[in-house]
Amino acid sequence: MHRQQSLFDYWTQENNDLVKICKKHEGQKAVGPHLTSDFQKLLRKIQGVPPETDHAQLELSVVYNACICFIAQSQFTEAELLLKQAAERTLQMKGESLCQLDAPIVWMTAVKSVKNTALHRFLLFLPCLQWAIWLATCQLKPIEDFQETSLFEAIIGGVGGEFGEHAKEKFRIVPTLVMDPKRLVELLQICSVIAQGAEKLNEGRGSEALPRLQAASKLPAPKALVAYTHLLSGSCLTHMNCPQMALQCYKKALETDAQCVYALHQSSRIYSELGNAQAEIQALHILHLTLLLPSSAEPSTAGVHLLSPFLLLASQSLKNLLSVPSPLSVLHKLALKCILNIRVPEGVKHYLDLLAALHSEDHHGVKVHSEFSTLPRLPKLYLEAAVALLMAQRPADSMALCTEVIETTLELLPEKLVIEEPEEGSEALTQGMREEGEGTLAVFLWAAAAYLLQGHCYSQLKDWKQAVTHYTRCVNMLVKVHFKRKDVQTEVSKAGRHLSQTADLHILQRLKGLSLAGRGISFSQMDHLKEALRDLQLSLQAVPEGIGAGLWCGEVLWRLDRKREAAARSDVSLPTVGLPLYAQEPSFGPSLDPTELRHRIQKLGPV
Amino acid sequence: MSFILQAVLQFPEEVVDLIESHNKHLLIACSKLHLDNFFLGHISPYSSSADASSGPAELKISSEFCVLGGHGLSSLLLVGSTLLTLGQRNTSWMLTLYKLPQPEQPSSYEMLGSFSLPLLSPVLLDRTETEQTRRSLLICLHSGSPPASNDSYLTHGQFGIQPVLFKLLFGVDAALARSPVLLWGLPDGRLCFLPLHLPGSQIRVLHSLEQPVAFVGASVVGETDPGLAQCLVVVGERGRVVLIRTDRSGSETGGSTAGFAERCVPGPVKCCSVDNNCLYYSTGSDLLRLNLLGSSGREDGAVQMPTTLNVCRIIALVAPTCNPEGGAQLIGLSDRGKLSGIKLPVGEQEVGFYQLPATQVGRSVKDLLSAIGDICERASALKTVIKSQNVSLKRLNQVVNICLLLKSAANTDEHRPIKEKPIRCCATAEWSRLLLKDSLNLTCVLENSSPYTLERGWTLCITVSPLSCSPGEGDETSSTFAFPVINLSPGGALEVSVPVAAAGDAAFPLTVNCWLVFSLLSVLEEEDLESLQSRHFTFPLNSLTVDWLHILREIGPTVSQKSQGSTTDAIEEFVSSRRIDGHKGANGGRENATVYSTSVRVSPEILRDTLKTERFGLGTSDLHLSLLNWLFESHGGVKMGRRGDQDGMRSSEVHARSPNEATVKLSVKEVSRTFPSNSGKEAHVEVQIESSSVAAVCGLHHAVLRRMQVHSVDALNQQILKSPNILERCYVSSAQMNSVLLDVYQKLRENRLLMI
Repeated sequence: MHRQQSLFDYWTQENNDLVKICKKHEGQKAVGPHLTSDFQKLLRKIQGVPPETDHAQLELSVVYNACICFIAQSQFTEAELLLKQAAERTLQMKGESLCQLDAPIVWMTAVKSVKNTALHRFLLFLPCLQWAIWLATCQLKPIEDFQETSLFEAIIGGVGGEFGEHAKEKFRIVPTLVMDPKRLVELLQICSVIAQGAEKLNEGRGSEALPRLQAASKLPAPKALVAYTHLLSGSCLTHMNCPQMALQCYKKALETDAQCVYALHQSSRIYSELGNAQAEIQALHILHLTLLLPSSAEPSTAGVHLLSPFLLLASQSLKNLLSVPSPLSVLHKLALKCILNIRVPEGVKHYLDLLAALHSEDHHGVKVHSEFSTLPRLPKLYLEAAVALLMAQRPADSMALCTEVIETTLELLPEKLVIEEPEEGSEALTQGMREEGEGTLAVFLWAAAAYLLQGHCYSQLKDWKQAVTHYTRCVNMLVKVHFKRKDVQTEVSKAGRHLSQTADLHILQRLKGLSLAGRGISFSQMDHLKEALRDLQLSLQAVPEGIGAGLWCGEVLWRLDRKREAAARSDVSLPTVGLPLYAQEPSFGPSLDPTELRHRIQKLGPV
Repeated sequence: MSFILQAVLQFPEEVVDLIESHNKHLLIACSKLHLDNFFLGHISPYSSSADASSGPAELKISSEFCVLGGHGLSSLLLVGSTLLTLGQRNTSWMLTLYKLPQPEQPSSYEMLGSFSLPLLSPVLLDRTETEQTRRSLLICLHSGSPPASNDSYLTHGQFGIQPVLFKLLFGVDAALARSPVLLWGLPDGRLCFLPLHLPGSQIRVLHSLEQPVAFVGASVVGETDPGLAQCLVVVGERGRVVLIRTDRSGSETGGSTAGFAERCVPGPVKCCSVDNNCLYYSTGSDLLRLNLLGSSGREDGAVQMPTTLNVCRIIALVAPTCNPEGGAQLIGLSDRGKLSGIKLPVGEQEVGFYQLPATQVGRSVKDLLSAIGDICERASALKTVIKSQNVSLKRLNQVVNICLLLKSAANTDEHRPIKEKPIRCCATAEWSRLLLKDSLNLTCVLENSSPYTLERGWTLCITVSPLSCSPGEGDETSSTFAFPVINLSPGGALEVSVPVAAAGDAAFPLTVNCWLVFSLLSVLEEEDLESLQSRHFTFPLNSLTVDWLHILREIGPTVSQKSQGSTTDAIEEFVSSRRIDGHKGANGGRENATVYSTSVRVSPEILRDTLKTERFGLGTSDLHLSLLNWLFESHGGVKMGRRGDQDGMRSSEVHARSPNEATVKLSVKEVSRTFPSNSGKEAHVEVQIESSSVAAVCGLHHAVLRRMQVHSVDALNQQILKSPNILERCYVSSAQMNSVLLDVYQKLRENRLLMI
């Protein structure tokens, strides 16, 4: 007996040494696989003797340690096997029959069998490990069931106490554990709440999850996890249409954890929905800066032992909720917002940063591939940057970007592109063909838009002849796209509107209108008034709501001494929303004061 | 070719792939099949360079060289400073990017990111079959030429492909971002790609070969330009060969598309290598060559018959290298570890007939034609320039010759007889009557007896000025005429007519100066001349003097007889005679009118000599007549025009009319004069001039003297004059010498030409 006792001491000592090594390596990331195998070897030795109450405490401690190591290395099946063996041995020890049952029930019987013994507390840790495995493998249903059992309550209530007191009576050396079970339970609790909240939010039942999340935010836990609870509360509130309250939650999340990029991302989205552009730009700016910080990708693990919370929060729905666009996407959005809100110099700076980042060898685009990217296709990005540069009165730079787009796209373009209107019946059949056609159409649009922008550049430089050349190239490019329609009777003017259901075709029509208007304006500057009038009228046919074309048409009519017609031109302007930057009315061409024209027309008197 | 084995490296596990890294390090991927782990060791075998004599050094590589741990690695590639590893892990293929370490920390590889692609289990083959074909399935493609580098490790596995093909296969975005694209084949037959530097890019499948991919490469195929690959070549283990290239004729709308042409060769394919036109592959029992140009993609899926090279057991090949002699060489490794150089048969290295697409041919023909057109245009322009320059040079040559001629003529001898000058001007004075007004016309003849042609650009200038006026004041009284010379060939003559004066207007005698002027304008363009100081070059020809003898009218025995030739003449005669009567007395009434006379005496011997040398070689009896004829003959290049009567010189007395309508009588007679000094008696020929007009008398006297003088100068030149004072004997005897005559005479004597 004494010899056996000393053997137990020896094993306990070995366990404690291993735990010491483990704690020493804690700062480093992963637990070495050799440590796990050492625990396993030790366990095999212990399990070599028949189960007995005396050394069951040691055995359970080693099982706990080994399991934690397995879980930390994502070897869940091995951990589960160990747990099952431990439960079986406990039951064997008490002489109870082993029946194939679900894990919770096995545990309950096992715990019941050792009730009122010193082992009771020890045995309570092990279901926690099962809980951790469920959580890490995203099995939320067993967790819910488990949380309803009495065992769960016992765990919540019992684990908190001092477990070492009883042990001290029997052993001279207490077997130490790699992780404090109390901490583990706390971690499991908050992670469960977060995982379940995310799941509910994903299912659209955000309001149900909100109270639990708000309660969980007061639990003791690492600050990153507390920030997550605030975040998820905010998301719930967003779903419940309480943007201001959601903003409050995000603010709390940020206060808790300053690196909570997701809160910034969500805030910017809410500001965008609220129409607060300046605040949105601010939020995006901070978000971008935060994303560029080196540690932003991996939240802080300080205060968490061995088991990382992120191991336990592996659910896909949470990952979806917590995903943040890549820094480049944020930068693009920021640049676009700046341009749209007439903060041109800032926007230009951001666009240039973006282009520089795209061409640098080691950007972070590949570093964290889980981030989603909302970056538009590169030609589109180039064209947007070109518009920004044009707005910033840098036509030469703008032209260089356009030239690059043209050079890249031009050789891919066919002589003509025929786009067929899909028939109702055979839609599925032609889907592939249509997709291909639309891909080519997009390339057409990029090239045409690049020519259009070059035309704008030249007209900004007051080189009207070159401007006419480039506008003409744009028009020539656009007329290569043909629409094949069955309904031949429909008038031409309606055709555009009918086909512009798809966004691309709408853009095509706009580009046509803008290029013709640009050419008309250039002609009028060169005093070719007849050609100018022709182009402006064609432009108005393509895009009836064109403001510049309408104004200039009136002006040209006036100059041609057709004052009555000029007066009859009423300038109707409709807002253009949802179009790409380059398909919008240029705000930088030769300007014309509409009030002056109106004034003149009023002087003309009634017709 | 000989190889020297320098070192043997022994690894604890099977080597799957190896690449050269910076600082001549090797990166080696090992995989132990059963344990599914690998280590990546880097060693520098070059540092322990063993002597070739002492045999290869054996190096045992243990796990302490391991720099990265992982599972199932199969390929390595270096792109710039990024290390890429491709490997199988659990249920997916992982492409992992590492940043190459700094030289001071050679073993710290920082992971940049990783991409995963799910494994397709059904097509997965057992490892023993695929183990040989893991090598070099990962390549990197660049649009345009890959970044140039001197280090071979940076160019390994890097290919530059045609930008169009790049864009068609990998999209516009990758081309715009100038991102290299990774391309690799998997044992399940998929051909995957990933743009390396494009944010948000994901692994995509380009094509599926439906058999394990044995080789991925790029070839220029048929193009002579070695820079850019036109074609991607993918070979499957069971012999499917896919050529991916730009297909311009594919779409009827004229756009380019990526064309995938499939062919089949008898497998199994163990290893491959590709050069410009051929694919070399080993089946393990034979090494075969397939001409990629053979059939241009039309026979899809058809079995191609490669030619055998009769080399067996090859399990690895290095791309062929070309010798300067034109032969190509392959380096192959056999499964027994034998490295051998394989020389390829040259004879069969024929370049296959490769057809360019019709549009491309059309375009290049167009290009060539337009280039030819351009060159032709330029050549013809140059030709015309050269031609015109040649013509100009020829003309300038003529001009320079003429200039030299004229200049030397002007320099050598002022007094050379006009007849001897190669280019000279002669004149004929002639009276004409126009609109009831008599006027004197001078017909000048430019004679060219030089061997050169006077071409365009030359102008004959004739200045007519009275002899009496000094050069300075000649501006008002002199007049200049210019006649362009058009092609006066050697021996030719140019005849021009110059109106000299109306009757009574001009002051005779007249000096006629002839010039030849050359203008550079005819040779050079206006703008070329701007820098020149003078555009015209003036060369004096000869001067002519038109004296009173030349301008006498109606010369004959009697004036009155001749003047009645026509009624108008008669009337004129009548009027003028009446007027003269009123002033000075009757026309012929010498006795009652004031008649001025003067005479010149000449020694008959000299006269005879002179006349003999001239063509008036008449007898002594006719000396008077000869003298008269001689006087009226041409002198100093000036001839008299139509005479009143050619046969008129029969008597020794000639009557004529002077321009100022005065009657003039010239008579020649013999006089003898006694010299008191040597008391000898000498006979002289005396020319007597009589007229009612003092101007006519003076003028004629001057003219006669001038001829005598010119003649005597000639005589002086030819023979030494025996009697030095021929001309001194001339004296003026006048019945009524008055002060007017004296004055005129004085003036005439002052003229240099007289030089008495």
